[in-house]
Amino acid sequence: MKRFSSLILSPSSRTPGLRSCARLSVWVVASALLLLITACGSKETTQQTSTATETQPARQPAPAETPEASEIDYSVHPLPDNLEWITNDEDPIFASPEAQPGGTFRTYMLSFPLTLRRVGPDSNGAFAGYMRPNQMPAVALHPNTRRYVPMIAKYWAFDPDGKTVYYKINPKARWSDGNPVLADDFVFTLEFMRSRFIVAPWYNNNYTNHIVNIQKHGDRIFSVEGATPKPKEELLWEYGLTPTPRHFHKLDENWIQNTNWKIEPNTGPYQISKIQKGKYIDFARKENWWGNDEKYFKYRYNPSKIRVRAIRDTNVAFQRFLKGDIDAFILVLPSFWHQKARGPLFDKGYINRIKYYTNTPQPAAGMWLNMDEPLLADRNVRLGLAHAMNIQKVIDSVLHGDYERLNTHHEGYADYTNTSIKARPFDLKRAGEYFDAAGWAKRGDDGIRVKEGVRLSLRVIYGTPAHTDRLVVLREEAKKAGVELVLQLADSAASFKQIQEKKHQIGWMTWAGGGLTPTYWEFYHSVNAHKPQTNNIVNMDNPEMDRLIMQYRDAIDKPTRVALAKTLEQMVHDSGALIPTFKVPYTREGYWRWLKLPSTHGTRSTGSLFAPFNTRYSGGLFWIDQAAKKNTLAAKKAEQSFPPVNITDETYRLP
Amino acid sequence: MLKLNPQTAKQLQRFRSIKRGYYSALILIFLLGLCAVGELLINSRALVVKYEGQLFFPTYASFLPGTTFGLDYHYETNFRELKQTFRQQGGHNWVLMPPVPYDPFETDLKPLAFPPYPPNAAEKHYLGTDTTGRDVLARLFYGFRIAMLFSIILLVANYALGIAIGCAMGFWGGKFDLLFQRLIEIWSNVPPLYVIMIIASVIVPNFWTLIGVMVMLGWMAMTWYMRTTTYKEKAREYVMAAQALGASTPRIIFSHILPNSVSVIITFIPFSIATGITALTALDYLGFGLPPPTPSWGEMLSQGTSNLESPWIVSSVVAAMTAVLLMVTYVGEAIREAFDPKQFTYYE
Repeated sequence: MKRFSSLILSPSSRTPGLRSCARLSVWVVASALLLLITACGSKETTQQTSTATETQPARQPAPAETPEASEIDYSVHPLPDNLEWITNDEDPIFASPEAQPGGTFRTYMLSFPLTLRRVGPDSNGAFAGYMRPNQMPAVALHPNTRRYVPMIAKYWAFDPDGKTVYYKINPKARWSDGNPVLADDFVFTLEFMRSRFIVAPWYNNNYTNHIVNIQKHGDRIFSVEGATPKPKEELLWEYGLTPTPRHFHKLDENWIQNTNWKIEPNTGPYQISKIQKGKYIDFARKENWWGNDEKYFKYRYNPSKIRVRAIRDTNVAFQRFLKGDIDAFILVLPSFWHQKARGPLFDKGYINRIKYYTNTPQPAAGMWLNMDEPLLADRNVRLGLAHAMNIQKVIDSVLHGDYERLNTHHEGYADYTNTSIKARPFDLKRAGEYFDAAGWAKRGDDGIRVKEGVRLSLRVIYGTPAHTDRLVVLREEAKKAGVELVLQLADSAASFKQIQEKKHQIGWMTWAGGGLTPTYWEFYHSVNAHKPQTNNIVNMDNPEMDRLIMQYRDAIDKPTRVALAKTLEQMVHDSGALIPTFKVPYTREGYWRWLKLPSTHGTRSTGSLFAPFNTRYSGGLFWIDQAAKKNTLAAKKAEQSFPPVNITDETYRLP
Repeated sequence: MLKLNPQTAKQLQRFRSIKRGYYSALILIFLLGLCAVGELLINSRALVVKYEGQLFFPTYASFLPGTTFGLDYHYETNFRELKQTFRQQGGHNWVLMPPVPYDPFETDLKPLAFPPYPPNAAEKHYLGTDTTGRDVLARLFYGFRIAMLFSIILLVANYALGIAIGCAMGFWGGKFDLLFQRLIEIWSNVPPLYVIMIIASVIVPNFWTLIGVMVMLGWMAMTWYMRTTTYKEKAREYVMAAQALGASTPRIIFSHILPNSVSVIITFIPFSIATGITALTALDYLGFGLPPPTPSWGEMLSQGTSNLESPWIVSSVVAAMTAVLLMVTYVGEAIREAFDPKQFTYYE
């Protein structure tokens, strides 16, 4: 699945009339502005999303040729015998039967979208987060049990070949224009995503190299064949695609211009009802949505209207929230939670605060040690370094105790997580022992260890100016162990490039978390070591690990894979190639008291508690209590107060 | 006793009579003097330690591990703690700390409180700390030292290049002059800030690369003034006389023309220094300047503006910057006035 970045950073200079030199200067100015934006722009959120988008090209092989539409086969193929059709209606629901429909939920976006398209140029901005969830996939994970539940497909079945999945579409499923969702629409997804007219190389490539074929086996039955055999749950994850309305799209050279502001039919609970360009976009709840009575959709998607206003500055948006123009606000950043979201509105109980722990794959944030560097080739040095990093002090001071220590690369992957691994703590004695063992026993005049005239000084490259505070504390503490950290702040793209080309000593970066199970091949297989533009940024090169990684990739049954994943994770830990740093396993939000949540507040996989759509997981659980809204506003006018609400929900807190 | 040229003495006299500029100059010279011995005033290393009858002077010496003083750690002694310990022990051992016992890098973090900490005279954080618990006064002071050093080096380099090329243009004239005029016109249109940003996104700039880039894009300003002055001076009789006596071109330029255009150069110096400080601060503010954790005013300014609820950061740096730039400008004005050949101007 492609991720979207919260910044729309495309210097699209569609100016064919300009002379080339003028265009060049536009470029220079644009790139300078870009640098400015990245330098002083929103600090916390960009880090992870930007690495997420940056990782995409590196994870994918070079694009292959895209087959033309004529090659797509819309004819009906026979179904193999003995298919065992599976569905899931046993898992508990996670919405609240008390939910009330109605009302308008008001939220904001930091920029007005450049297009309504889901794919193609400029479509990967933050607004994609509103458009894509309303195109529902065939199946999705239950947010709590992490087992599959029906979405558009009611039944599914696995082919013995281990790489093909069959789906039966729910006959109720309808596009927003009333047309039924058919197998043709899924086959069309293949044609659409492979088409050169959509100008989306990532999708072109993904739907060519990873998905071999989508076949029709009847009006409402289709199958997806992947490139490689995988365990069943991963098959559904990797090949759980969304349909594309075949009757709506006309793929030709003008597709991009034609569909920029056209509202594509969708299958989700909401559809765009009004666009006020530059100001806001309204989504209306579908009156007779086909999913209204489906088990896992019931009592969800309650507001009858969602207004997404374009407010171009977070602080302005926050002021609007305090005024009551926006219903809920994400307060994950420490400055918001600790300083800004305080005062009478909160003390008088008009606005509630909630800190909700989740348990999802954590982004892998850490210091990645390049083992090809002579200084870091010695395992003792790496372990000494791990014990010389006072991560806990950073958490307790500059991070206000808000973050938690990440213990290992893959955390939050349920059974696959090796919970016995604990990150190496700051311990000067052990750091000293490791460094002494590596021959760095002597200290120079400045207190930094020396060996044969070389100082134990290491470069840390990083790309987020806001992280300087953290590194400054680490640097001062590391001096005590006799290590010097030289901080190298570069532009985020430049720092990522340097790390990808393995020119770093220590790379301070975060891989976006995601996927269903841990991945080792891209990060630790020797095929990806010692060469640029791969994700093995530590240059791990261990034949035993290679062997286990290949076993892990080929294994199909879960217990084997779990056991292998745990062994591999332990090997990563033992090598000391990575010093894991932080995780933020929660969401923090403020919301006006008329917004109501189920008694469980959220689910294990909740992203934001007030995500209005997010159909794949657990969006749309909240509702608006109209009576409470009236009486809150009246009370505010009369300066009456309610008991303040400060919720901390640790149900899904990671151990 | 140094005997001054009567003209210079007169100029100096006039400079002194302009009180605002004169006192500004005195204060600035005093501050620069302090900078030279900064380590003795603002530093986490003690000035003198007396331990078991032995004297230690750690300021400019190599580092002293805690074990030197019977402590249980091998890293650099924390002299503030040592002072406390000695005082509690009440023996003959003592520690003399500088007036501000912090260096600009160390993070003085307290348990159960989150930085930035407000000013606190008891802890000798006279201007509070920044977001990582570093002393604001220490960073302000060392930031000033770096900014002044940066501006002075930048100035010398810019003037050396600018004066040399400007003089050559004015002296030789003709095609050489024409060529450089056009070249400078084109080169002046390169926006330095953008160029530095682009460079900073590719490499991590340090003190010298930053000076290199700034000189590359900043030497032109001086050429125009020097070109005109040289043109003017070249036409004077004393140059002709020197030529008639067979003086070489370098001799004419360096011994005759330059000393006579020195007033032009000197009047520009303070303003160039102000420009240098501002440029470095602006770059640091935007994050394209000196690499962290170098103490810098720009970095403090950006930290201060994003933490307005801790006003001691932003107010310290704004006050310091305003004061220094004002003083530099006053000096500049006073020099210009003092070197002005017309003491009085009558308008009719």
